[in-house]
Amino acid sequence: MMISRVTLLGHKDHGKSTLIGSLLISTGSVTQERLNDAKKISQQLGRQFEPAYILDSFSEEREGEMTIDITRAQIKYKEHAFEFIDVPGHEELIKNMMSGASYADFALLLVSAKPDEGIRDQTKRHLFLAKMMGIRRIVIAVNKMDTVDYSEARFKEIRKELVAFLTKIGFQKKNLALVPISAYNAQNLIKLEEKMPWYRGEPLLDEIVSLSTKRRADKKGALRVILQGALEGTDMLSGKVIRGTLSAGEGILLPPRESRYTIKEVVVKGRHRKRATAGENLALTLAEPIDFEPRGQVICGLGDDLKATNRVNAILFATKKLGEGTKIKFNGSEISCSVKVDNIIDITSGDTRQGSEIEPLGAGNVTLDLSKVIVAEPFDKLQEMGRFVIYDNGGFAGIGIITS
Amino acid sequence: MIQQDTKELEERAIFVMREAKTKFKNVAAMWSMGKDSTTMLALARKAFLGKVPFPVIHIDNGIDFPETYAFREELAKKWKLDLIVAKSEIKPELSGFACCGANKTVALKRVMEEHGIDALIVSIRRDEHGIRAKERYMSPRDKEFKWDYKNQPAEIWDDYSSKLDAKGHIRVHPLLDFNEIDIWQYVKKNKVPVNPLYFSRNGLRFRSLGCTHCTVALKSDAKNVDDIIKELESTETEERSGRSQDKEKMYTMEKLRALGYF
Repeated sequence: MMISRVTLLGHKDHGKSTLIGSLLISTGSVTQERLNDAKKISQQLGRQFEPAYILDSFSEEREGEMTIDITRAQIKYKEHAFEFIDVPGHEELIKNMMSGASYADFALLLVSAKPDEGIRDQTKRHLFLAKMMGIRRIVIAVNKMDTVDYSEARFKEIRKELVAFLTKIGFQKKNLALVPISAYNAQNLIKLEEKMPWYRGEPLLDEIVSLSTKRRADKKGALRVILQGALEGTDMLSGKVIRGTLSAGEGILLPPRESRYTIKEVVVKGRHRKRATAGENLALTLAEPIDFEPRGQVICGLGDDLKATNRVNAILFATKKLGEGTKIKFNGSEISCSVKVDNIIDITSGDTRQGSEIEPLGAGNVTLDLSKVIVAEPFDKLQEMGRFVIYDNGGFAGIGIITS
Repeated sequence: MIQQDTKELEERAIFVMREAKTKFKNVAAMWSMGKDSTTMLALARKAFLGKVPFPVIHIDNGIDFPETYAFREELAKKWKLDLIVAKSEIKPELSGFACCGANKTVALKRVMEEHGIDALIVSIRRDEHGIRAKERYMSPRDKEFKWDYKNQPAEIWDDYSSKLDAKGHIRVHPLLDFNEIDIWQYVKKNKVPVNPLYFSRNGLRFRSLGCTHCTVALKSDAKNVDDIIKELESTETEERSGRSQDKEKMYTMEKLRALGYF
């Protein structure tokens, strides 16, 4: 069956792993054997049973009571299947969170209702990143309601602030749902809790079902094939159809070249085919010889105005101060670039302000001058054609999405 | 256990294997003749125009089941595999964790060095174990084969950023997203040949295959692939229940993987 992927979001210790653990137990999605293991480990550590131990499998995670790296857990509920991607909430582990969130169809945010917890900068940072990465729908679980005596006022206070922030950074109200819960006590997860009679919505998993979505490849849109490389020992190129359908015998373009090429053969999963459609990996031959490195090149249909450029505008999220040797990794190619910051985006308010340097864990609108041309499109038009990862000599430094 | 869309899983596996073959000079794959690594070979044949374009390594401790050796010979011939058999030595004084670490890992290090292998395809899956669930599609190992699991590289969208350090290698995990039941669905749909030990004989079958010392059969009447799929739909035990090394004590798998076990 089709599985929708849901990334968790939220500040550390607001209950992400505990919630997934509780959902696994409430829906019977964990084997008795793995549940017993988690119980045994809680005992060995001299603690009360902690559902998070079903997911947090490293000794350091269990002993330190924190998630270090992402994991996934699958749940079946009322004929729907979800894969929850658990992510660490700690700031210094944000590259792991981004690795998980980049595979998600939608998100589940955890905010603790505890008076000294609530909405934090890291909560907003995760939401900002989710928006940047193309997530449009968010279910928000206001957790630890048991610690505030199931207070409706506290729930409303958090709701007001969050909805204001989320709409400001571009989410639509109809794509948000808020549910007051206690993850540890499994309250309002699959059935409504009588201690919160003021809550008029559905239990959390039903709200997740209502908002769930699944990214699907568009088979009808204008053709885009991203080439991956040449298949060693053959005369074939490999690639993936990102959008549309590619047919054998069809004329195509490989921008920025102006000449027309012809698709001679299409092979999908080892078999010759008439066509390959969006979502499929393929191998192909061209009728004409090529004199360029295929990796990262994009095939489009005749008459398409897809262009190549060496300058793009982008939103950049940086995990550290950008240093020497900045380069982007875009569709398999590494390209050196210089970054000019146009303005800074305050990710806790969504406002922009003047500035020429992005702080670590901050964002900005930038202009990138690239050492060679790329074939790209705005992220909002086609995600695969408008997203990149950024590196410098010190390693991973952030992500970007192309705006124009 | 949830059955996923095998088409989506297949596309991911093909993409990951092609990416490895494009990025690295000398790719090889582990082949234990089990259902997972044999499914991986079937996928490789689809990705690479009908043939497996890399050598496959069997770490042979001499105590695998006779059926396993027969299956190896038969399929290696049928699929024209470039088979590397790396002999390892079982030390009678060691068992479980120490045994797996000593014989398998040492033999693998040797064979990788001899052949200059810089990327190793390993058919692990997230649902096998909580530790394996934390893996990346591509994951670096240092020259001692250690997995720095507290500092894994970013793996965002389709960008597998793993870098080789001077003497390390990359583990490539094309089947990471498959569940046990998805493997069997794939075997069924694609008629992938499997080791006969998976099917019930006298009320017993193997669900996960290791060597004759550490693998225990479980009670089952599943005589064919359809029966296995049915059995897995409602199982309450973990796949590797019959593998003694996982159970010896807390975090054995974590230690094994950190030491380079696959």
